[in-house]
Amino acid sequence: MLFSRRLMLGLAMVGTLAGALAFPALAEGPTEIDLFFPVPVDGKLARDMGTLIKEFNEGHPNIKATAVYTGSYDDTLIKTRAAIKAGKPPAAVIMSANFLLDMQIENELTNLDSLIAADGTTKDQFLGQFFPALQGNAVINRSVYGVPFHNSTPLLYINADQAKEAGLDPNKPPQTWAELTDWAKKLTKREGDKVTRWGIAIPCAYDYCGWMMETLTMTNGGRYYNEEFGGEVYYDTPSMLGALTWWNDLIAKHKVHAPGATPGPAVSTSFISGNAAMMMLSTGSLTYVRDNAKFNYKVAFIPRNVRNAVPIGGASLIIPAGLEADKQKAAWTLIKWMTSPEKSAWWSRATGYFAPNMAAYKTPDMVDFLNKNPDAKTAVEQLDVAKPWFATYKTVPVRKTLEDEVMLVLNGKKQPKEALVAAQKAADETLKPYNAETSLKLP
Amino acid sequence: MRSTSRRGEMSLAEPAALPVATSAPPRLHVLKRFAHRLKASLPAYLLLLPSLVFLALFTYGAMGRVFVDALYQRATPKAPLRFVGLDNISAVLADPYFTGAVVNNLVYALGTAIPSIALALLFALALARTNAVSSALRAALFLPVLIPMVAASALFLFIFLPNVGLLDYYIGRLLPVLPNWLGDPDIALYAIMVITIWKNAGYYMLFFLAGLQAVPEDVMEAAHLDGAGPFQRLRYIILPELKPTFLFVIVIATLNAVTQVDHVFVMTKGGPSNATNLVLFYIYQQAVEHYDIGKASAATLLTLGALMGLTALSFRTMANREGGP
Repeated sequence: MLFSRRLMLGLAMVGTLAGALAFPALAEGPTEIDLFFPVPVDGKLARDMGTLIKEFNEGHPNIKATAVYTGSYDDTLIKTRAAIKAGKPPAAVIMSANFLLDMQIENELTNLDSLIAADGTTKDQFLGQFFPALQGNAVINRSVYGVPFHNSTPLLYINADQAKEAGLDPNKPPQTWAELTDWAKKLTKREGDKVTRWGIAIPCAYDYCGWMMETLTMTNGGRYYNEEFGGEVYYDTPSMLGALTWWNDLIAKHKVHAPGATPGPAVSTSFISGNAAMMMLSTGSLTYVRDNAKFNYKVAFIPRNVRNAVPIGGASLIIPAGLEADKQKAAWTLIKWMTSPEKSAWWSRATGYFAPNMAAYKTPDMVDFLNKNPDAKTAVEQLDVAKPWFATYKTVPVRKTLEDEVMLVLNGKKQPKEALVAAQKAADETLKPYNAETSLKLP
Repeated sequence: MRSTSRRGEMSLAEPAALPVATSAPPRLHVLKRFAHRLKASLPAYLLLLPSLVFLALFTYGAMGRVFVDALYQRATPKAPLRFVGLDNISAVLADPYFTGAVVNNLVYALGTAIPSIALALLFALALARTNAVSSALRAALFLPVLIPMVAASALFLFIFLPNVGLLDYYIGRLLPVLPNWLGDPDIALYAIMVITIWKNAGYYMLFFLAGLQAVPEDVMEAAHLDGAGPFQRLRYIILPELKPTFLFVIVIATLNAVTQVDHVFVMTKGGPSNATNLVLFYIYQQAVEHYDIGKASAATLLTLGALMGLTALSFRTMANREGGP
């Protein structure tokens, strides 16, 4: 006992000393804040982020921001939650836009309304800077919880050289599922039974698969989830059945899509190497394709069966709950700076994501860039028909119930209908506790 | 070691032989003796204290926390945590994803331990004699051990790429339909297993090489003189001598099969359709994706229990065998 007390005293002394060394001028120095950022797509995002934060620190002597690389979107959520639990939340996080609802349900987000009001702007004015399609994932129960930072939509990428070679006009890309099927058939190359070039590749790995299912379901007239309430998903519906059946037909019936589940990087590699003539992939991969494709390519809207519609993807900036006031203020300064038109535009050019701030497209550099790279324009134009990304209570497990079943279908192990029934059942089970607390909690 | 195996026989023959149990000294005396002993060993404890503190904080503290967390659960997202006893454990056992992960893990453990140990033994036997060539080959076989699992997985990700990966480029040409190595639930687990075998065989080879040094030279020579062929020498001399090494390597291989899931994390995330979901990854999913700390802790406890049981059993067998005739 005696020694443990002495030890405690010793430890306390060492701790104080270390503290004194680490923070020599606590009252005087700049507010130190951390920004957690993920690198979810192909490209050199980490270096670009370093450049961005360095510029911020030079312009804001009273704030010292540090960018902390936190892995994928999922890893970033884990690390943020771990930091919140440990009582040391980062001041700002670039968080996958569809995790916001889940975090808000778990009381892990700072409501940004008061920070917006303190600036003397209204919520409408603040949100009005951003494309309307992005607001659904940033606003929960009419309060702002996130600021859109970099966003994406799925695009159809076409190998223009191969299209020409097959007698197709890459300037008139397929607009409907029927046309796309036709193109894919013409672009698939076979040697006997063996396929040497696939007509189309659509990624399916955890995360990407759910997004692509939402894309196909939306272009088939449907919805993936209830945009107003986090307790419902619409898996067992005609629109999703049609979407999954078509995807399965591309593999099993038309044989123009490689069987099995193919992750995003495999799809982009396949496209770059000329092994797949078309692919559906995020706009976030545009810069990667532009830098690596040794052929002419075209990008186009995702073809429709019923209507043109796509989900958004990407990330928003959030402020975790439980932060000191000065850090919160510093984080808010950083967030506003990062989402300003100029920075937004710069980041968009560096990464291939589109800039959520509409004014970014009026900056001279951006106008110049779009003239040089008209393919970047397609993503922005498609925003007119974009809608929010699915976000529910426990988004990831609920999404995974669908993805597991879709993977079985793509591998020829299950029929679309029974797969969707099973997915719906499993998702409803996961959503049950939330519904018990909300929609089924009756007076 | 010898005493442990003998104790069973001894206690049967003379049950009251243990001196401590015979006469109980007065309580005070015991305390005094305890104090005396403590005084004598105090410096040792003091020297151990710093590491004990960290061990307690970062190893046993965390384990204790898992025990506590496994007993609590929330009924609905906003409800407070409440004590649920063993409910989390039964929920885990009833979860088809958990049982699926256990089955996958068993297949994975058997399918990685047996081939990698067999390969390791083969390599060790082939490279037992030290010369320039065998040293170079040993180094080459040991190389995969030096590559971090995450880096190796990233490499294999490209090797396994469907249609355009290295594997399909060379081997795939011979097959009528190119397999989607990581995207087909029937193949993915085996693809993952190949990496584990590739990575671990060289490591286990080291133990067998060490074990082979302990095979007595004179016995080998005697066998040689008696006309025992190479197979007979392997069967009757080398393998029996390697028994302790085998047991040790089997324990290590089993532990690895449960604790090494880096490649699952990097390459498949347990997919497709949970085909490569292993127990540790299931725990990760419960903790992170479901944000269900109670269930994750319960699954951790179950795994920990199974592993400790297995390890204890193997080491006891090892001790008995070593002490045996």
